[in-house]
Amino acid sequence: MGQVNNILARLSALDRRIIFLLVAVAVIVPLLIPIGLPVDITKPVKNIYDKVESLPEGSVVVVSIDYDPGSEAELYPATEAFLEHCFRKNLRIFMLALWPAGTPLGNMALENIGAHYNKKYGVDYINVGYKPGGPVMLLSLGKNVGDMVKTDYAGVPIDSLPLGKEVKSARDMALVMSLSAGDPGVLHWIIYFHARFGIPVCAATTAIMAPQQYPYLASGQLVGLMGGLKGAAEYETLVKRRGRALAGMDSQSIVHALLVLFIILGNVILVYQRSKR
Amino acid sequence: MEVLGVWIASLLTLAIYSFLYKDNPFYKVAEHIFVGISAGYWAVILWFDFAWPNLFEPLIVKGNMVYLIPIIIGLLMFAPFIPKLSWLVRIPLTFTMGISMALFITQIIQGDILPQLQATFLPLAGIHPFKVFSNLLIIAGVVFTLIYFYFSKEHKGTLGFAAKVGIWFMMVSFGASFGYTVMARISLLIGRVYFLLHNWLGII
Amino acid sequence: MKSILPIIVVFGFGFFMLVSFFIPLKGIQDTSQTFQNWYIGVMAFFIFIGIFNIIKINLEKIQRRLRDWQYSIILLICLLVMMAAGFIGGPEGGLFLYFYKNVQIPLGATMFSLLAFFVASAAFRAFRARSPEATLLLIAAVLVMIGRVPIGYWIWHGFPNLVEWIMTVPNTAAKRGILFGIDLGMISMGLRVLLGIERSYMGGGKE
Repeated sequence: MGQVNNILARLSALDRRIIFLLVAVAVIVPLLIPIGLPVDITKPVKNIYDKVESLPEGSVVVVSIDYDPGSEAELYPATEAFLEHCFRKNLRIFMLALWPAGTPLGNMALENIGAHYNKKYGVDYINVGYKPGGPVMLLSLGKNVGDMVKTDYAGVPIDSLPLGKEVKSARDMALVMSLSAGDPGVLHWIIYFHARFGIPVCAATTAIMAPQQYPYLASGQLVGLMGGLKGAAEYETLVKRRGRALAGMDSQSIVHALLVLFIILGNVILVYQRSKR
Repeated sequence: MEVLGVWIASLLTLAIYSFLYKDNPFYKVAEHIFVGISAGYWAVILWFDFAWPNLFEPLIVKGNMVYLIPIIIGLLMFAPFIPKLSWLVRIPLTFTMGISMALFITQIIQGDILPQLQATFLPLAGIHPFKVFSNLLIIAGVVFTLIYFYFSKEHKGTLGFAAKVGIWFMMVSFGASFGYTVMARISLLIGRVYFLLHNWLGII
Repeated sequence: MKSILPIIVVFGFGFFMLVSFFIPLKGIQDTSQTFQNWYIGVMAFFIFIGIFNIIKINLEKIQRRLRDWQYSIILLICLLVMMAAGFIGGPEGGLFLYFYKNVQIPLGATMFSLLAFFVASAAFRAFRARSPEATLLLIAAVLVMIGRVPIGYWIWHGFPNLVEWIMTVPNTAAKRGILFGIDLGMISMGLRVLLGIERSYMGGGKE
């Protein structure tokens, strides 16, 4: 009994740096020695995939980079996986960013994936860069793209690009994908853009935001949802792409298991301390 | 150049993680570099992606004087630096508040309240019994959660019980949110470790 | 003047935008569109003022030799270097993107990933079932943490469906209830702003 007492007392006084170290090990080891746990596909992710599959060739998909480097780890793999699917289906991409630091991230993904499918800038995809004004901007964009977009991200007049000339208003858009880490982001695409213009919206959000999107999934205002890195891993599985999200899933699983152990241990200590009192 | 970039990125990453041991000058340097670089980035992007093509070019190159109005209203943001005129900062604030609030009110009704209300009127017959149970739970959960937020009457008796059930629903929902928050944080860490092992050390 | 003019502005523009929502006349719609475009132009200045403030605060820190003022020098140098890289080489310039890719991305991503460690520490120390409500929260959190990642599916193939049910039923219900609460609160707040009852946001400047 005394021994148990001793161990629990020591555990409850554990230096947090030891916990930090355990977490680091739980992340690093599965990356070095992958286990290959199978990834299940959830319905909200499958819904995005099916929606993209259903679009006719040449349709314009709006991809909105509503995140910045702070969420790059979660949302960049989703960006690439989604673009891969769109380019494979010969859909055209109209990219913009509601977050100032999003544009180059979007460009990186467009260039990486676009090159693989021999897509041409200006014809198959364009990036019009950062647009301030959040929700109000979206209302203007839907009515008349030209009001908000004079040039692309590099300053090239939008009218000189074939795809830029074609996208005049929301009517020319088939689907919106908001890769969203907060406000402005997916909520504004739903409440402002979708409500006003009726264009279907799907999203890839940080895991933190994912639970808040469920009422919109239920109401049909959101077609589908990739929640966090797991959502991206599901999409990578669907499009048969071995990307960063899938590579990270073993670590994700092991750390979660470790944290659940921490929670259980913390509560055992609590129960033990109570019973002693 | 490319290799140097990866080294810079990796060393900065490690500088931030050194905070886990304790606060130290390496962390502080990295933190200030981040704020400085980010602010510089915003200034450049805002100018090239928006301010020049949408405000200043139409005014200066095409001579369209209407664009003076938003520019002047915007410049009033700097009024507080001239004590006598500091009150003028209220013009851009009230201008943007007036427009955004009006749009917010109409859109929140059209785009949020009505569709969400509609989605709460769920069918309770002619479907699988478990689906009936789930739908009942959703309807009850929405109502009880709302009752919790009804503060005009003391939460006692039936109202008190209903509010308590509302709390149970919220607790499940907060638990789910916590689970997802953990997931998000871990994913960010995985992203950085992946970068160090893959891009920097090249061992995976 | 100092208090009346702002109220006229907020009420005038706000009321016009509200009315324009219901009147599809071309003239009104065009004017409403113009106002929206101005709004976005003005919003750009909000970011400019933010950058201006960062510069001002750090200059003051250096001038007064406040605690850690040396770091402010680093901050300002980085800001100037980045602006120079962008304004001279353009936002597509090699150096500007080089700094973005090799400094801004790693620092931003790492800064936020630090929280992973603190979440772990909190899971061990603070996440305790001290009451029935806390127990409910804890159970939901553990189910989601395990059931939402591959290990849950590996343990039991029904796990993802159980979690999806938690997300689509109790979670959706509570989030929707909270959403209604917030929306109604925000609408009343919005009306108070438009009618000039709520003025706290006007802040700066004396009466």
